[in-house]
Amino acid sequence: MWRYVTGELLVLPTRVVGLAACLGLLALPLVTRDPYVLRVVTLASILAVFAASWDLLTGFSGQINLGHALFFGVAAYTSALLNLRLGLSPWLTILAGGAMAVLVALVVGIPCLRLKGPYLSLATLAFPIMLTGLIFAFPGFFGGELGVSGLTRLAGTRLREYYLALGAMLVLVFAMWKITDSRLGIIFHAIREDEVAVRASGINTTRYKLLAFCLSGLFAGLAGGMYAHFLRIAGPALLAMFFSFQAIIWTIFGGVATIYGPVVGVFILYPVLEILRVVREIRMLGFALMVLVLLRFMPEGIVPWLEHRLEPECPRCRSRNAFTRRSCRVCGTAMGRPSSCPGRATRSA
Amino acid sequence: MHKVTSALLVLVMGLTAVLATGCPRRQEAVGPPPIKIGIAGPMAFLQGEHHWYGALMAQEEINAAGGVQVGDTKRLIELVKIDTNEILSPEDAATAVEKAITVDKVDFLMGGFRTEGVFPMTEVAMDHKKIFMICGSATNELLEGRVDKDYERYKYLFRVTPIRSTDLAKVCFEMLGYVGVIMRQALGLEKPKVAILAERLLWNEAMIAAAQQLIPTRLGMELVGVWRPSATATDVTAELTAIKAAGAHIIFTINSGPVGITYARQWGELEIPAVSIGINVEAQKLGFWDATQGYGNYDTTLNTYGKVRITDLTLPFYDQFVERFGECPAYTAGTYEALHILAAAIERAATLDADAVVAELEKTDKHSATGRIVFDNLHDVTWGPGYVTGIMTQWQDGELVVVWPYPGWQGLHYEGVVSYKIPPRVVQYWLGQSK
Repeated sequence: MWRYVTGELLVLPTRVVGLAACLGLLALPLVTRDPYVLRVVTLASILAVFAASWDLLTGFSGQINLGHALFFGVAAYTSALLNLRLGLSPWLTILAGGAMAVLVALVVGIPCLRLKGPYLSLATLAFPIMLTGLIFAFPGFFGGELGVSGLTRLAGTRLREYYLALGAMLVLVFAMWKITDSRLGIIFHAIREDEVAVRASGINTTRYKLLAFCLSGLFAGLAGGMYAHFLRIAGPALLAMFFSFQAIIWTIFGGVATIYGPVVGVFILYPVLEILRVVREIRMLGFALMVLVLLRFMPEGIVPWLEHRLEPECPRCRSRNAFTRRSCRVCGTAMGRPSSCPGRATRSA
Repeated sequence: MHKVTSALLVLVMGLTAVLATGCPRRQEAVGPPPIKIGIAGPMAFLQGEHHWYGALMAQEEINAAGGVQVGDTKRLIELVKIDTNEILSPEDAATAVEKAITVDKVDFLMGGFRTEGVFPMTEVAMDHKKIFMICGSATNELLEGRVDKDYERYKYLFRVTPIRSTDLAKVCFEMLGYVGVIMRQALGLEKPKVAILAERLLWNEAMIAAAQQLIPTRLGMELVGVWRPSATATDVTAELTAIKAAGAHIIFTINSGPVGITYARQWGELEIPAVSIGINVEAQKLGFWDATQGYGNYDTTLNTYGKVRITDLTLPFYDQFVERFGECPAYTAGTYEALHILAAAIERAATLDADAVVAELEKTDKHSATGRIVFDNLHDVTWGPGYVTGIMTQWQDGELVVVWPYPGWQGLHYEGVVSYKIPPRVVQYWLGQSK
């Protein structure tokens, strides 16, 4: 374990920063227990899982989902209704919400898998709209525009809610990262790059794409359940297009197909949006401009941008190395100049 | 290129830091600290603006009189604007309220508009044991099932405006009965036919159910059908054509969304031979006349403020509001009453302690611009003759006039109430049919 920490974790600047950020967040309540600060981090943690789940589906397997709020909203409503009507505890309702999101992912995934590109995107966009229609068609059951309110709190105190959400985020994001780092992740990646070639290799791509939908739905659903119990309400705003697009903005800002990129995206953009409350009148405009300017100069997202600058690849074995190293930490090759690939900025030797 | 990128990054980060910390701080005022009141509303929308305007007027009046007497000291009121963004994001609303409590250190809160946002906002306020005076959401469940079921947690919650949903319905049915009598007399009808046109939202479900039961029984009219367009519909021709074909004499509207404009314009354009009464939130605004290009003439809606003397405070408030802000006050401007009520309760309690102020708020019996405000056991504003009644306003040739409570209703006589007018086309159509 220690060897892994010193040999893998502490050798790259971005990993050190990531570890420091995690430890910093875990230790934050030692510095401040301001409920507002804890609230912002708690919500950022929950939304980070949501954004990362979009990355798992779209970033890795290439299934562009523009209606990702569907999974989040379905789970939030499931948790809310089970909690209110049957009095189940949040632990159970959150899990049930995740299970329901998987079921919905299957329902959405099966017809959508016949579609590709913009057609798939448009089809996924339609599902949250359909569910919103259902909520308004049966207002007595779903609460209509008022939503389902009065849920049990996620945990007894704000501090417990903070650690619960943060802990869940770390575990769930790590789980997603391990999935993408496994054989399954390689297949997802391959399907995104060339589905025909993967099928020609004898892999049932339909099954794997459906699996990607279900896994993504599960993680988004768990986040949705936590969100409903944290806010103590599940309402139609969770199914709005704006909510789906937020996940996309966070992921693109952080870095697509990384899993940890969306987490970084949420943890930067969500607090920035809070800071911008001081300029109330131009808050959203300022936020949009900031995102645009940053993406203009970091088109791949902030995490890949930083990685390319701080961790050049070894020209021989392609391992990433800290920019301070003169030779590769794996094969010992002299690190004269970083690798240059299309779209990547290069650093002079 | 690398340098340019770095420079820009530094610039953006610097800008963010400046925005975060760089707003010049106010110098510490000499004397006792002000009482901070958070005004929570969607500030980019009319409802939030009116939250602010109402509170601003009350603040200026209170501060001009020297402030609020808290024990031995007079303390001024300071308003903190909380843009809840609740129409887009209820989550944002709750976070904004938490920031106001923990960072801006507000002592009390008032406002709220969209129920989906008011629920989480009030939960946050209750977590911090802060008094929250609702001024903008009529949903019964904001108080019912909360103040009565868990008093210790929700006792800090009060509603000043509007009256609760079920009371809104009562006002509408009173008006419907009144117009029914007028229609019978003017058109010689034995049993006027009523069509319900209500947007497809949950808040009006109970009202529709009650209307379906009361119209044929207690009001002695015939219900010809219920039409439910979307709250954001841009065309209701089909509904209006069907209503005309059903032979309706009265259209009972229950709409809060933009469909109110669409409906009123097309109701006039298509010359539907039926009077229109009920709730049309869009018709409460002065901009309604221009938005409907005058086709909304004679549309009648429930309202909170109007050019009528409910009490001696109504007209001065109404005129000053219109003169200063160029709009007639929406019901969210009830922050004006809320702030006066709160200030009086603080003075009686002689402390800012929330529990003590709650005890005094519960004893409120305030003569206000909307009537006599007394909170019931749910901390809701009491409706009825001698309390807050609400009013019905009708557009008559470009002017928004008050037509209900008609003189003598439950012994009430509000000075300035004018006669309800049936659109001439309705009279001509039905009298022409009977010849």
